Amino acid sequence: MKNNIRVERAIKNITQADLAGLIGVSRQTINTIESNRYVPSTVLALKIARVFNKPVEEIFMLEDTD
Amino acid sequence: MKTRFLFPYWCRYIGWLLVIIHIPVMVLKKMEVGNHFQGYNTGVNTGLFSPDHLFFIATAVFMAIGLFLVAFSKEKIEDELISQLRLDSLQWAIYFNYFLLIITLILSKDGAHILFLNMLVPLAFFIIRFRWKIYQNNRLLGRDGDLR
Repeated sequence: MKNNIRVERAIKNITQADLAGLIGVSRQTINTIESNRYVPSTVLALKIARVFNKPVEEIFMLEDTD
Repeated sequence: MKTRFLFPYWCRYIGWLLVIIHIPVMVLKKMEVGNHFQGYNTGVNTGLFSPDHLFFIATAVFMAIGLFLVAFSKEKIEDELISQLRLDSLQWAIYFNYFLLIITLILSKDGAHILFLNMLVPLAFFIIRFRWKIYQNNRLLGRDGDLR
């Protein structure tokens, strides 16, 4: 699964730490999601999408290998 | 996704304290009795709360409780990544423990020491693996430039 959290953060101009604070996880978690080393739960994905005011599909995309 | 049944964060420090206390107690007792110490399970002095029994409590049980508290206390920020790492590490610890258990059961008949090993290995391996993964994540966090 791919994601464009890094891009969305740049648009909204917030850091990993800010995003982590907004959804109540650690910075490490945001970092591992951004670098595709961890797939977040549905709840967390929805929370992230809510921060950026976008549907989940615009932030997380399936890859061919999934 | 919240992991239940974890000790509060500060329990970790009590845990480390118990583990650390256990080492000098062990060393002192070994020095005192020298090579005459027979161990708790050999039947020399097996009464409840006999010196050997107390020694056993002060070392093995303290260490086990200490490791237990260290292994199962909450992280500062307990989120789903941590739960995942904890479960992964537990799985590894169980695999490793059973691998070791089978090997020792084949090669050794020293039941007391196998039991002792079996008590410490899963927790110790779990703690090392869990901490290592957290360390790796923290290192990558630093490398990626956290403020971008």
